Amino acid sequence: MSKTKHVITVIVLSLLGITMLIALNKIPNQFEYANSISQHIVNNAVKETGSLNFVTAILYDYRAYDSLGESTIIFGAVSGIVLLLSRKTLPVSSHGLSFIVKRTFGMLTPFIFLFSIYIITHGHLSPGGGFQGGVILGAISIIFSIVYGSEFDYKRYTPTTKTLLETGGALLFIGLGFLGIFFGGNFLMNLRFLNMGEGSLISAGSIPFINTVIGFKIGAGLAIIFYSMIQKTFKEGVDL
Amino acid sequence: MSTSLILLIIIPLATAFAIPFVDIFSNKARKYLVVFTTFLELFILVTIIFNNYSSILNGTLFLKYYMGNWIPPIGITLVMDMLSIFFSTMITFAMVFIVIYSIGFIGHHEGKYYVLLFLIWAAMQGIILTGDIFNLDVFLELLLITSAPLVAFKRNREGTEAAIKYMFYGTIGGLFVFIGVVLVYFNLGTLNFAHISQNFNSLSFFIKKMISIFFLLGIFIKLGIFPFHFWLSKAHSACPSSISALLSGVIVKVYIYVFIRLFWNVIGFEVLIENGLDKVILIAALISSIIGHIMALNEDDIKKMLAYSTVANLGMIISVLTLNTKLAIIAALLHVFGHLLMKISLFTTTGYLLQFTPGHKLEDLKGVAYKNKLLFIGFIVAAGGMIGLPPMIGFSSKWYILRAFINQNIHWGSIIIIVGSVIAFVYYIRFIIYGFKKISIGPPEKFRLILSVFYRERVVTDIAIFFAVAIIIAGIFYKIALIPINGAAEMLQNPYIYVETILGG
Amino acid sequence: MINNFVFVALFLLGFYAILVKKNLIKMVIGLNIMEGAIFYWFITLTDRGGLIPIVKSSQVVNNLNDPIPQALILTGIVIGASTSAFLLTLIIELNKFTNSTNPDQLGGMLED
Repeated sequence: MSKTKHVITVIVLSLLGITMLIALNKIPNQFEYANSISQHIVNNAVKETGSLNFVTAILYDYRAYDSLGESTIIFGAVSGIVLLLSRKTLPVSSHGLSFIVKRTFGMLTPFIFLFSIYIITHGHLSPGGGFQGGVILGAISIIFSIVYGSEFDYKRYTPTTKTLLETGGALLFIGLGFLGIFFGGNFLMNLRFLNMGEGSLISAGSIPFINTVIGFKIGAGLAIIFYSMIQKTFKEGVDL
Repeated sequence: MSTSLILLIIIPLATAFAIPFVDIFSNKARKYLVVFTTFLELFILVTIIFNNYSSILNGTLFLKYYMGNWIPPIGITLVMDMLSIFFSTMITFAMVFIVIYSIGFIGHHEGKYYVLLFLIWAAMQGIILTGDIFNLDVFLELLLITSAPLVAFKRNREGTEAAIKYMFYGTIGGLFVFIGVVLVYFNLGTLNFAHISQNFNSLSFFIKKMISIFFLLGIFIKLGIFPFHFWLSKAHSACPSSISALLSGVIVKVYIYVFIRLFWNVIGFEVLIENGLDKVILIAALISSIIGHIMALNEDDIKKMLAYSTVANLGMIISVLTLNTKLAIIAALLHVFGHLLMKISLFTTTGYLLQFTPGHKLEDLKGVAYKNKLLFIGFIVAAGGMIGLPPMIGFSSKWYILRAFINQNIHWGSIIIIVGSVIAFVYYIRFIIYGFKKISIGPPEKFRLILSVFYRERVVTDIAIFFAVAIIIAGIFYKIALIPINGAAEMLQNPYIYVETILGG
Repeated sequence: MINNFVFVALFLLGFYAILVKKNLIKMVIGLNIMEGAIFYWFITLTDRGGLIPIVKSSQVVNNLNDPIPQALILTGIVIGASTSAFLLTLIIELNKFTNSTNPDQLGGMLED
């Protein structure tokens, strides 16, 4: 029974695949560039936004509203995960690795943190940005729980702090949007007067600031997701 | 340029962000915040309506807002036309009542519950006001990912299973919409609704068909129309009643809005006709309608029955939309309005009554009417509306739907609608009769409080009576609701107005 | 065209995992493969063999790759990650009640 079902699935999927392939091969294989919005962006993005990285210019200026929706999606996922997996007691998943690992990681942590801050703040000049740097920030918190044991991170960087960082970041994003209205434009208008010359750190208006608030928000959000999920994975008090 | 459009989206969004922040300091402040922002949102909507009173009466309302000062088609544009304001008003009023109903009803994790409720509100307003196809996709995903935790809110096995199914179907539907977005961007190089609509007819017949099919698949999966209706009844019945009312009454209407916006304003209905897809949609939707009614008849779990009735009514709305005459669009929008009122009323009253019963089954509901008679009258009025009895709103909307079918000479369609109403009569009257049955065993044991949640009886009764009165008044004076609907139908008949107003400056 | 072929193959591979696999976590992986297939397809379709869209100064550079698909895909990746995280949470929750990750306990994905 199971085998016939399997075979039928494979046959149906191959037929579907052939149909899709025939259909997709009929679309023209060269992208018509002339009439598109990307032509405008490629020609004018540096002038209009001050960001040398076009992808960042799109994400945080031309389509910043999409990024607001996107960070809201992470916020929604975090809220849902906390709702389902919330608990009152402190999860003690492990007591950490050996002394050598703890020492080495202790020396590495400032550099990892510096790297993530670099990626966040240089989003408009080089590859990177708030989301990418924020993931590294979240990873620091996750590595802490592996290397030093989950209690270490939990005590120094409490869930309240994480929640404050996350909601604070999101509210600051909206606040930056309203600054656009305050300075006579529309919501999420780029504040172009924050400019100290092309290619410098403060050069793309509000883009670096949006990057920073998103970076901290994403880092805190990912840490919350991780700490909600690790409950009861390990028995309490078992030394790994 | 009207700033109130962005406020409609940002106020619920900022509230959702602020609730965990406020929660750290005080739980009481959260309640005030929730009520305050709910009425602030309502106030802003009412301001928009009053400021544009004459243009709504003329049916020429058109507001737009350029995000970040980028003129279309470069940036994201928010648009409010007659269709948007019709849906936006419905949703705002419905959410106000759902928030009031929720106060004092949710027992655990109230903070997160309100966060998700307000995120859903923001996502719905975002979908309705957006004028950009990728932004639409983002907000559709937001709506999915914020409503799924609420499906699993009871934290029992059924809820979790329903939420897993809901997430799988919803995500796959979202992927199909994303493929559609990719094809649109690849072929036209733009993401703005109006710009797409302007250039869509320059594409070849085959590509137009492919894009329509992918969007159609995505929306049908999210709506639960016939070949994909498996998940809907479970997801809409496994959650607390306020969420059921939200999912079944409000969120499905947002997907109907997406269907209308995409296939009338963006792609253009003549594309569907030229591909022969309109007949496919009509048949699938009518099958969905009849299957929903039959499944509801088979079901003796009251919440599942109501969920199947949603499947049936969605099929009815989509099928009448595909007729594409002015009368048909008016009929569909009127039924959207009526179904929203009736479904919220049914789920909220049922949710209150179910706290006195040991289960959700037909036998468990014996004699439940004597517990709170006013509330049960509200249930009967809403059920009568769903069946299509005068003078409720259900009668007028079904009357319009039948007229639309008969005008187009699709008599078998009208026969299916009538048969469906007869079946609906059978399955609603069953529950009403059981509710009035006298119980031989002493009531005190039967009516013990099963659920740990606590309802505020007066508020719930007031809401039920309000909805009952609203259903009857809307049924008698349905001509008032026809003012915005007429304007919306005229705008949908002339999609070039939308294009010209956005791209014209 | 090779990118269409890879897209269809990966997309259906993910779909096959969702239909056939008897483990919910594998089904989530299938969903991620489907998402990945679409991202791959989008980026190869709009690829013109140009330079990366990051410049050194405000002078207009010709022959840049289209930056919009990259921005849209970044958004899509974040959406996909959140969806997977939440689905995995639901599976953890289901595992608490039933001690298994078999999708058959959902009563079949294609039944109600």
